Amino acid sequence: MAAHNLGTELDLSWISKVQVNHPAVLRRAQQVQARRTVKKEWQAAWLLKAVTFIDLTTLSGDDTSSNVQRLCYKAKYPIREDLLKALNMHDKDITTAAVCVYPARVCDAVRALKAAGCNIPVASVATGFPAGQTHLKTRLEEIRLAVEDGATEIDVVINRSLVLTGQWEGSDFIKTSTGKETVNATFPVAIVMLRAIRDFFWKTGNKIGFKPAGGIRSAKDALAWLSLIKEELGDEWLKPELFRIGASTLLSDIERQIYHHVTGRYAAYHDLPMS
Amino acid sequence: MAAATRTAPRAREIFTTLEYGPAPESHACALAWLDTQDRHLGHYVNGKWLKPERRNSVPCQDPITGENLASCLQAQAEDVAAAVEAARTALENWSTLPGARRAQHLTRLAKMIQKHQRLLWTLESLVTGRAVREVRDRDVPLAQQLLQYHAVQAHTQEEALAGWEPMGVIGLIVPPTFSFLEMMWRICPALAVGCTVVVLVPPASPAPLLLAQLAGELGSFPGILNMISGPTSLGPVLASQPGVQKVAFCGAVEEGRTLRRTLAGQGLELSLALGAESLLLLTEAADVDSAVEGVVDATWSDRSQGGLRLLIQESVWDETMTRLQARMGRLRVGRGLDGAVDMGARGAAARDLAQRYVHEAQSQGAQVFQAGDVPSDSPFYPPTLISDLPPASPCAQTEVPWPLVVASPFRTAKEALAVANGTPRGGSASVWSERLGQALELGYRLRMGIVWINAHGLRDPAVPTGGCKESGSSWHGGPDGLYEYLRPSGTPARQPSLSENLNYDTFGLAVPSTLPAGPETGPSSAPPYGLFVGGRFQAPGARSSRPIQDSHGNLHGYVAEGGAKDIRGAVEAAHQAAPGWVGQSPGARAALLGALAAALERRESALAARLERHGVELKVAKAEVELSVRRLRAWGARAQAQGHTLQVAELRGPVLRLREPLGVLAIVCPDEWPLLAFVSLLAPALAHGNTVVLVPSGTCPIPALEVCQDVATLLPAGLVNVVTGDRDHLTRCLALHQDVQALWYFGSVQGSQFVEWASAGNLKPVWVNRGLPRAWDQDAEGAGPELGLRAAQTKALWLPMGD
Repeated sequence: MAAHNLGTELDLSWISKVQVNHPAVLRRAQQVQARRTVKKEWQAAWLLKAVTFIDLTTLSGDDTSSNVQRLCYKAKYPIREDLLKALNMHDKDITTAAVCVYPARVCDAVRALKAAGCNIPVASVATGFPAGQTHLKTRLEEIRLAVEDGATEIDVVINRSLVLTGQWEGSDFIKTSTGKETVNATFPVAIVMLRAIRDFFWKTGNKIGFKPAGGIRSAKDALAWLSLIKEELGDEWLKPELFRIGASTLLSDIERQIYHHVTGRYAAYHDLPMS
Repeated sequence: MAAATRTAPRAREIFTTLEYGPAPESHACALAWLDTQDRHLGHYVNGKWLKPERRNSVPCQDPITGENLASCLQAQAEDVAAAVEAARTALENWSTLPGARRAQHLTRLAKMIQKHQRLLWTLESLVTGRAVREVRDRDVPLAQQLLQYHAVQAHTQEEALAGWEPMGVIGLIVPPTFSFLEMMWRICPALAVGCTVVVLVPPASPAPLLLAQLAGELGSFPGILNMISGPTSLGPVLASQPGVQKVAFCGAVEEGRTLRRTLAGQGLELSLALGAESLLLLTEAADVDSAVEGVVDATWSDRSQGGLRLLIQESVWDETMTRLQARMGRLRVGRGLDGAVDMGARGAAARDLAQRYVHEAQSQGAQVFQAGDVPSDSPFYPPTLISDLPPASPCAQTEVPWPLVVASPFRTAKEALAVANGTPRGGSASVWSERLGQALELGYRLRMGIVWINAHGLRDPAVPTGGCKESGSSWHGGPDGLYEYLRPSGTPARQPSLSENLNYDTFGLAVPSTLPAGPETGPSSAPPYGLFVGGRFQAPGARSSRPIQDSHGNLHGYVAEGGAKDIRGAVEAAHQAAPGWVGQSPGARAALLGALAAALERRESALAARLERHGVELKVAKAEVELSVRRLRAWGARAQAQGHTLQVAELRGPVLRLREPLGVLAIVCPDEWPLLAFVSLLAPALAHGNTVVLVPSGTCPIPALEVCQDVATLLPAGLVNVVTGDRDHLTRCLALHQDVQALWYFGSVQGSQFVEWASAGNLKPVWVNRGLPRAWDQDAEGAGPELGLRAAQTKALWLPMGD
C-alpha cells in the first residue's frame, strides 16, 4: 500500500465545482479504447504487468477452504513457468497483487499462502458487502475480525445513503463498484473517478489508488484499462500500490494470450491450470 | 506441450517501462493495388483508366519515408474535355432514371466500398500520412453512410423534391490536403439527385481514383463519376467546358477568391467551401477535462485539416492551460499506419506552413508550447499550443494551420462572442458550458455554419455542414446538400454570357450627369422626393436628380440620384436595424408584412395609376398590385415554418437545423414589373429576418417609392432602404461593399458579371439573372421555394444530451 491518505479538511466546494459532461465522457471512453493498441512483445509484457495488478478474487456464497487454497496457489503461480521462461521473465517473481475473499475465508487464504511460502497480501471485502446496509457497529467489528485473521487490505463498501445525501468519506483507494452490481467497472465511470484522483493529487499531493472491479474478463479489456490509467493518470499510477484490477476469470484469459504469444498456437482448455 | 520460443528478449525491458510499441498496419494490399496499375496512375474516365501519352507526371510519395509509391499523370485540357464529355453522355440517361434506380446504384457502391475497405483505408493512410485509426474507424464508415443516406434521398426525390431538376454536369475541385471523405460529401448528393460529376483531384491522390474504379466496376453507368488528376490551376479549364453547370470548390480562401473572379460571367454556379480553421469556446462553466478532449478532437487527432482558435474564459485560464499541457504530453505522433498514434504526418508543405506560422507568432511575442511523443528524425510536426499572441498582430488575423492551437482569453460571454464573430471566417465552432442557457445563447449567436455544444467535430450525413462569411456559403449533407445540385424545373441551361471586354475598373464608376428634362405632367402627385434611408426620405449626397419618363416619353417626375455615400448610409442604417429585426419572432414579422399588405391594398388605385402611366393596361396594373399584396401575405405565413430538428444516429439528443438571416441583403430589382418584382424580392428577404437595401426598377422607380411611404409608418426604421439612381453605379457600390452580406442582382449581362466578380471581396453569396427575364407573375419564379432558400442561411446546432 502507498502512504496513507492523511486526508484534508472536507471542502465541499471542490465537489460542487466539478463539472462532468456525460456525453463527452462517453465519447472519450470510446476513443481511449480505440486510440491505443499494443502488439507482440509489448502486448506480452503489458499482460504480465496486468497480472501483477490483479486482486485475484473469489466471492461466492459456496467458497470453501479448498477452492480458496487453489486460488491462492494460482495467485502465487499465475502463469505457467515454461511460458515465463520463454519470455525470460521467470525470475521476476510475477504473482498477482493480492487475493481477495470474504471475511470468513481470510483464515483459509492466509494459511494457504503461508503454505505456498509467499507474502501476497490477503484482501477482504468487509462491512456488509456488497450492500453495506448494516449497522456501523457490526461493520467496524467485521473489519476488526478480518484484520485479526490476517487480512492486510480491506475493501470497504461505503455507506451510499450518506454519499447520496452529500456526506462523503475518505479513503486510500477508490473502487468502481463491488463487482456485484448489474453494471460494474465501465470506462466512463472510471474516467470521471480518475480525473477526480488526478485533481486531488494536484491539490494535495496525495496519490489515491484506483481499483476497477467486476466485468473485466478478457486480456484485451485488461490492456485497455492499463492504457486508460497511463493516459489519464500517467505511468506513476501503474504499480500495485496504486492500481488494482478486481477479477476472477481475467487471469486465465491472460495466460491463454501469453501461451499464444509464446507458442503461436491457441491453447486447449486443459493446457492451462485452473484457478 | 513445451513452449517453443519465438519471442525477442525485449519483454523484460518493456515490463519495467510499460512503453507503447509500434503497432504497424500492413499496407501490402495498397502496394498490390498500385502494382495492378504498374505503379503508374492515370485518370479514371467513363469506367476505364485513361493514360494518355506525353503528359507530365508527378511522383506519389510516402510522406514519411519519401519512398516513391507511384507516378501520377498531370492532366491537360483535352483530358478534362474527355472527362466532361463522358459525364455529359452519362447525364442523359442518369438524370432521367427513376430515383429508385439511382438509389439502388448508390447502395451497390456502398457495398462495394465495404468489400474493399481495408484497401481503401490503408491506401489513404499510406499516401496522406493521416492516422489509420481515423481513416478506418471514421472516414470509411462515414463514406458508406453518406452513400446510404443519399440513396434514401434519391428514393424519395420525385416526391420530396418535386419542382426541382438536376443541374447537370458538376465539376468538383478539391485541394491537395483533403481527404477522400470531403469528396464523398459532395459527390453523393450530386449523384443522388441525378447529376454526373467530374472531379479534378490533385495529382498523387490515389484514394479518389480507387473510389472511381470501384464505382466503375459496378458495370452500369460508367460515366457518372470521372476523375482527372491534375493541378488546381486546371479549374478554369474544367469550368469552361460546355455542359458543366456548376463548379464546387473546396480549398484555401485566396484560391477561392481567385476562382470566383475568374469564373465571373461564365454563366455557371460556383459554390465555395474555404479554409479549415475551427473555433472552440471554453467557458468557466465547462467540464474542462472534456473540453481539453474537444481540443484534441479538433486538432490533434487527424480529424480536421486545419488548426484551432481556442477562446478560454479568464477565470479558468490557468487550470485549462495546465490540463491542456498535461494532455499534450501524452499525445503520440508517428507513422499514420501505426494503429496507436494520435497524429500522423501531412507532408512537407503542411509542416513548413506550421513552422512558418510558429516562427512568425514567436517574433510577434507569442509563447509556444510543444509536447508529445514525436519522432525527432522526421517530417513530423509536434502538437503546438500558442498563447499570448497580441490580438492586433498579423498572426492573430491569419488562419491557424494544422496542427496548431492558438489560445486567447476572454472575460465575459459577450466578449467571447465579439471575438469569435470578429473574424472573416464562419466555419465551425464548439461551445463548452454546462449552463444550458449560456450554451444555447452562445450557440445561437455565433456566426458559424456549424456549432457543437459540448462536443467538437461530430458529422453525420443527415446534418448540413457548411459555413458563412469567407468560409464560403456552400452546404453538403442533409437537405441543403441536395439543393446545391438542383435547380427549379425549367431553368434555362447555362448560356455563355461572358463579355471579355468588361472593364471591372470602370464599370458603373461614373454617373452620367442629368439635366432638367421638361415640365412635369400628369394627374397624380409624386411621392416625396428623396432616397428612403433609415426610415425617412432624405436628399441624396450628390444633391442631383434623374428624370423618369413615362411610356409616352413625357417627364413623370424626378427621383434622387443616389451615390456611394448614400449606399454607405443605407447599409449602415440596415445594420442598425438588424438586431431588432432578427430578434422579432416569425409571427411578429408576418404581422408586419400583413400590415404592409393591407396598406398596399389601400393604395391600390394610386399604384395602379403609376403603373398605367408606364404603359401597363389598367386591368393588368390592378392585377399586379393585387398579386404584390398576396406575395407579402404568403411570405409572412411561410416564415413561420422555418428550420427543423434532425435525428442523428449514434447521437443522443437533437441537431437543430436553423434558418438564419443572411444579414444586410442588397437587392437590385429588375426594370420590368416595377412593383411586383420589388415586392416579390422584398417579402422573402424580410420574412427571413434580413434587413435590405434595394435599388428599384431603373425605368419606373416611383411605385417602389410609393410603397416606402407605408414602410415609413409601419416598419422599423432602417429595415428597408431604397436607393434610386444609376443602376450600374449603385450595383458597383453594393457589390464592392464588404459589409453587405448577400446580393441579388436582376439586370444586365454585364452587371451580373460584375457582381460575380466583385463578390470575391467578402465572398458574399450572390444571385444574378445574367440578363435573362423572369416571370415574376408566375408563382414558380416569382414566389417559388428558390427565393426562400436564397433568403436565409442554414446553421446546424448540435445538442448532445446526457445526465
